[in-house]
Amino acid sequence: MFRNLYAVTMKELKSYFNTPIAYIFIIFLLVSTSVSLFYFQQFLGANVASFRGYFSTFPLVFIFLLPALTMRGWAEERKMGTDEILLTLPIKEYDLVLGKFFGALTLLVLVLFLTIPVPLMLAPLGNFDPGQLAGEYLGALLLGAAGISIGLFVSSLAVNQVNSFMFGVLALLAFTMMGRLQYVLNLPLRLSGILDFISLDYHFRSFVKGIIDLRDLGYFILLTFFFLFLNGKVISLRKWG
Amino acid sequence: MIEVEKVCKSYGPVQAVKDVSFSIQKGEIMGLLGPNGAGKTTIMKALTCYHYPTSGRITLDGIDAVENPQEVRMRIGYLPESAPVYPELHVSEYLDFIARVRGLKGERKTQFLKEAVQECALERYLHHPVGILSKGYRQRVGLAQAILHKPDILILDEPTTGLDPNQILEIRGLIRNLGKEKTVILSTHILQEVEAVCDRVLILNDGSILAEGTTGEIERSMKGELVYSLLLKGEIGDGAKEDLENRPGVVKVNALEASDRGFRLECTMDQGEDPGEILFDWAVEKGYKILSMTPVRMSLEDIFTKLTKEGGAYVS
Repeated sequence: MFRNLYAVTMKELKSYFNTPIAYIFIIFLLVSTSVSLFYFQQFLGANVASFRGYFSTFPLVFIFLLPALTMRGWAEERKMGTDEILLTLPIKEYDLVLGKFFGALTLLVLVLFLTIPVPLMLAPLGNFDPGQLAGEYLGALLLGAAGISIGLFVSSLAVNQVNSFMFGVLALLAFTMMGRLQYVLNLPLRLSGILDFISLDYHFRSFVKGIIDLRDLGYFILLTFFFLFLNGKVISLRKWG
Repeated sequence: MIEVEKVCKSYGPVQAVKDVSFSIQKGEIMGLLGPNGAGKTTIMKALTCYHYPTSGRITLDGIDAVENPQEVRMRIGYLPESAPVYPELHVSEYLDFIARVRGLKGERKTQFLKEAVQECALERYLHHPVGILSKGYRQRVGLAQAILHKPDILILDEPTTGLDPNQILEIRGLIRNLGKEKTVILSTHILQEVEAVCDRVLILNDGSILAEGTTGEIERSMKGELVYSLLLKGEIGDGAKEDLENRPGVVKVNALEASDRGFRLECTMDQGEDPGEILFDWAVEKGYKILSMTPVRMSLEDIFTKLTKEGGAYVS
C-alpha cells in the first residue's frame, strides 16, 4: 500500500542529499532566520520573552527557499526525461505526487528540528511560553507544507528548473503577501478581507501568536491538498496531451 | 500477446501516429524501423502507458492499456530513448528504488538485483553516481532497470544510439539473449541492427506503417543484390513470365517496359543460389538472347530512403 509512496519519498530524499540542495537549504534557513533574529530584530536587546520575531521571518524565508527545494521536482524529471521512467513504472500518479511532497516535507521537518537549539538556548533567559512555541512550530510546518505543495505544482507546469524557481517564488510571494495589498492600494473592505483570508501570512500570524484556530489549521491543510490534487491532475492529464 | 488496433496519436495539431495496427507474438523480437519522427517513440510511449492514444486500442495479454495501465506496466520493462538517468543517484540506489517499486523485497530483491547487475556488467560502478558514467554505461544502467523484474515484455527505444561500435555489438548480443525468452520490441533507424537482431520488422514513416514482415521477407523485397534487371531481345512470349516465376530460386518476375530493342524483366531472386546462372540458363533454354543482365544494386540505405520517401507496400 505505502510501499511505492515510501520508495518514491526515499528516492527524493536521496536526490536531495546527494546534491548540495539539501545542505544549502538547511544552512540557508538556519543562518537567515538566526541573523534576522539576533541582528535585525535585536532579540537580546528587545527584552521580550517571545519567539514571535523568530517565526515571523519564516514566511519571507520560505518564499525563496521552498521553491529552491521544489524547483527540481517535476521540471527536472521532464527535462532529463526521467519522468518517462517514473511514469511507466507501476506507481499510481498520486503516489508519485505524495512521494515528492513527503520527500521535501521530510527535509523541512529536519530543518525545523535543527532550529530547536535556538529557542532551547534562549529559554533560560526569560519566561517563555512552551505552548506558544509549539503553536509556532506547528504553524511553520503547515506553512512549509503548503509552500511545498504550491512549489511542486508550479514545477509540474514549468519547463525547467530556473523557470520553476522563479514562478515558484512569484506564486509564494503572491500567496504570502496578498493580504498586505490593502496597505498599498485602496481596496474595498470586502475584497481586502477576502485577500487576507486566502493569504498564507494571515493564517500563519495567528499560529505565531500561539493561537491554534481550526480555521487556520483547515486552511493550510485544504490548500496543501488542493495543490497536490492539481499537481496529480497535471501529471495524469499530460498523458492525453 | 500485444495487440495494437487502429492507434492514432496527436500532439496538438501534429499527428504523430496514424491508424497503426499490428500484433506481436510471445517470444518475438520486433523491430520498429523508421527515420526520426516516424512515430516509433510515440508507439512505444503508448505501449508503456506513458501516453494514452488519441484513438484506437492497445491490449497486452488482453489487458487494456488505458483502462488498466498499472497492470500493463508491471509486465513491461522499458528503456526510454537516450536512457534517461538521475545523475545524482548512485547506480545501486537507483536500481534499489526500481526494485522496490517493482514490488521486489528481501532475498528475491537481492537475487534479482544481482542478476541484472551481472547481465549488464555493472558490478564495478555500483557505488558511483550515474552522472559520472559514460554513455555506454548509462545505457546499461537503463537496461538493467528495464530487465530487473524479469518482465515478459521489453520495450527498448533506440537502445544502441550513441554507443561506440563495440558497445553496440555488446548491447545487441544482450538483446538477442534476452529475446530467447522474452518478447522484445526495439526501435532503431539503423537497418543493420534490424537484420542483426530482429525476427520481425515494422517499417514506419510519417506515423504510418509502410511495410511489415519477417526480416527475411523484408530483405527479399528490399535487398538490391537480389533483384536483376534482364533485357532480352525480341518480344515477350506467352507465359514466359509465369514460366520463369516457376523456376526454383525465382521469387517474383515483373514485366517492365517493352521497347524496340527488346523487353525488360525485373526478377527478384532467392538468396543462396547464383541467381545470374538461373536466369542465363532459362534464357538459353527458351531461346532468348540476353542483351543485358544487371543486378539492381541499391544499398540498404537507398531502399530505405526510397521506401520512406515514396511510400511502400505491405510485404506480408
